[in-house]
Amino acid sequence: MKTKLLNSGKKAAGAVAMIALALIIGAVLVLISGNKPMEAYATIISGAFGSKLRLSELFIKMIPLTIMALGISIAYKAQLWNIGADGQFTMGAIASAAIGIYVELPPFLIVPLSILSAILAGGLWAGLAGWLKTKFNANEVITTLMLNYIATYFLAFLVYGPMMDPQGELAQSEVLKESLRIPLLFSNYRIHAGIVIMILIILLMFFFWKTPLGYKTDLIGQGEKVSTYAGINVKRTIIITMMISGAFAGLAGWNETYGVQYRLLEGISSGYGDIAVVIALLGELNPLGIVISSFFFSILMVGGSCMQRMTNVPYSIVDVIKGLIIIFVIARTAFRNTAIKYTMKEWIGRRKNYAK
Amino acid sequence: METIAVKMEKITKSFNDVKVLDSIEFKLKRGSIHGLLGENGAGKTTLMNILYGLYNQEDGEIFINGKKENISSPVKAISLGIGMVHQHFMLARPFSVVENVMLGRKSRRGILLDTKQTAEELKTLAEKYKMEIDPYSKIWQLSVGEQQRVEILTAMYQGAEILILDEPTAVLTPQEVDAFFETLKEMRDDGKSIILITHKLEEITSIADEVTVLRDGKMIGRRAVDSTVTKDDLTRMMVGRDVLFDFPKNTIEPGEVKYSIKNVCAKNDKGLPALKEFSLDIRENEVIGVDGNGQKELCEVLTGLRKSDSGEIILNDKKMVNKEPVYYIEQGVSHIPEDRHTTGLALNWSLKRNLILKELNKAPFVKNGLLQPKVIDKYWNETKSEYQIKSINGEEKARALSGGNQQKIILAREINLNPQVLIANQPTRGLDVSAAEYVRKKVLDARNAGTSVLLISADLEEILQLSDRIAVIFDGKLMGILPRGASTHEIGALMMGKKQEVASCEN
Repeated sequence: MKTKLLNSGKKAAGAVAMIALALIIGAVLVLISGNKPMEAYATIISGAFGSKLRLSELFIKMIPLTIMALGISIAYKAQLWNIGADGQFTMGAIASAAIGIYVELPPFLIVPLSILSAILAGGLWAGLAGWLKTKFNANEVITTLMLNYIATYFLAFLVYGPMMDPQGELAQSEVLKESLRIPLLFSNYRIHAGIVIMILIILLMFFFWKTPLGYKTDLIGQGEKVSTYAGINVKRTIIITMMISGAFAGLAGWNETYGVQYRLLEGISSGYGDIAVVIALLGELNPLGIVISSFFFSILMVGGSCMQRMTNVPYSIVDVIKGLIIIFVIARTAFRNTAIKYTMKEWIGRRKNYAK
Repeated sequence: METIAVKMEKITKSFNDVKVLDSIEFKLKRGSIHGLLGENGAGKTTLMNILYGLYNQEDGEIFINGKKENISSPVKAISLGIGMVHQHFMLARPFSVVENVMLGRKSRRGILLDTKQTAEELKTLAEKYKMEIDPYSKIWQLSVGEQQRVEILTAMYQGAEILILDEPTAVLTPQEVDAFFETLKEMRDDGKSIILITHKLEEITSIADEVTVLRDGKMIGRRAVDSTVTKDDLTRMMVGRDVLFDFPKNTIEPGEVKYSIKNVCAKNDKGLPALKEFSLDIRENEVIGVDGNGQKELCEVLTGLRKSDSGEIILNDKKMVNKEPVYYIEQGVSHIPEDRHTTGLALNWSLKRNLILKELNKAPFVKNGLLQPKVIDKYWNETKSEYQIKSINGEEKARALSGGNQQKIILAREINLNPQVLIANQPTRGLDVSAAEYVRKKVLDARNAGTSVLLISADLEEILQLSDRIAVIFDGKLMGILPRGASTHEIGALMMGKKQEVASCEN
């Protein structure tokens, strides 16, 4: 128990150090651009926490990011590099919007049906990549990325074509009936009851890693040979894991459609999937770590757009910080590999000696 | 000139409050080969890592060539002329041999690389020590033995006078070992001082000039290796007691035939026939030892890891052919796999989880869809004491354990499933003497409890010791079955004599 605490403490310290370093480098860039770093960061903080309205926006961002990152973490534990959360999110949004717009049933049936359709659509979209991997040994990084494009353009086709709002000129569908929308928590703010779903899913994740399925997923990530030896059907588990991972993203797509946008529109995923990957990795694939990282990135995003409006510092500084964190996460993985660590020590040792 | 190259005095070191080295004395004479002998976990590598500056001792002093030195890092060690070849090599695989040697070194040609010059020097050096190596071949193209040569060459090129070799022969074939020992002798005659970490007694008696024995972090003794030193003496020093190289005769006679393999054909990874009409019956309470090639494919077919082309496997009148691995597990076929690192264990998982690796969805470990930590803890504690597994609390990764302890986890898991059949593939490979003895005893216990055991081993001694009958395979076909007490000569004759009669499988 003690060592466990110590370990998580160490990991958390590592994550904090990475964020700090990224922020420092970001600050230098702000400085070079002729602005004041402290002022820029202060605007980010006030932009995220300054008012109740800001807080509400913060949590609206945090819901999809957390759900998607948790889904991604399941695939990553199994060493399945699903980077197609955006596509799975989009498919979930499309499926659920179609149910809400075209199916004529009472709301108490439509709502669960739309959730189910989103989960299924996202799950199948990711499951397809899983199936391609088991059947043709197709690398899931490539397939999930390609499926992202397909989903994006499929969505564009729909909102410019068959699903376009007949009353409007914009690339968006007609609006969902009010009775179908996720209820707001407070009348004046956009924050909605989707946050309850996020909390439920976080709790679920703590249990997931204690179920046989969670263990199996984890074992697949330890190696195909040992998994097969242990009696696990590796191919089936790969597909199931990908489907679960995609289902989370699909659910986040439903949440965005029914809780925030109330309609389908072009680019609805707004790149959440990419950030969710960073969040999952920064959070060490651990549910608590993911929640904390997700909170941090929500601050950056909401505060960052505020910073762009209030100061001369562009939003792209947030992208820079995001990119730096990705690099640090990858570097950390390399340095955890003891073989690499020792080799580096050895090489550095030689270098120093020859330098003498 | 000082004749003692290295003197370590009262070296003490602890990890997590456990003393792994307790006031060790170590002395290495210049121009000699010094064996550092001990079982896995005795502290050999730790002691040498201190000498190489990877760890710092808590207490004690180190003298190099009679001068007291504080070796705080490998940088310091290298500058003192100490080189170390680890068990895991530190080579950049896409680079060539000479590029690896040059890594981190300043070029003599300014901004241009001095590859050619270095390669020439390297060649001369290699020839001097009778090592064959092409400086321009890429590391990934080399065999493990050749990679080891590169490591040694690198150390020598850097001017190492004292060379530490950590279990160097573990990765070598018997032929390579002979050549390797020649190189070591060459180096010794050249005045280099060599420390050979090992748990193999033969290596000490065949090459070492002196030996220091460690046990449980304590220094047991240091002596010159001459004709009066016997293996038994060394074993006693290393293990602390006599080791049973002979087990008592089995008292329970084998029963009825329980497990039959009938006319099985299978291909190897290259698509060539590996098993040809292979048949074998194993009785209750019986160990059958298998010698010859095709063993790996046989194990995999029997456990569902490989598909067979034809034939039948029958256990208690039940046919089981080309099913999923889980089916064989459920039918009571236990398997100690050849490679415990990639197959037998999930190295990054805790010991506890590895212990229930095959029961991740079975009661009592799972209840209401959740794993039961308390039940698992209880099972772990029982198993840990029964199998004498050295562990703090079972939460440490399997990777952190010695080979013997890792094998005990696998053994415990497979035997506790109360198997009908136990397929043990190289169960004692790489284990030290007492761990191997323990594993063999447990295999015999399983036999006496009624299990049919198929024992596959490259160690003929082991097969002769444990088997009730010995099956000889040649070229994928069963050549014959010998009774207990057969000699190695008979096995050899069977392998050679019937060569011509090998039948072939269709397709």
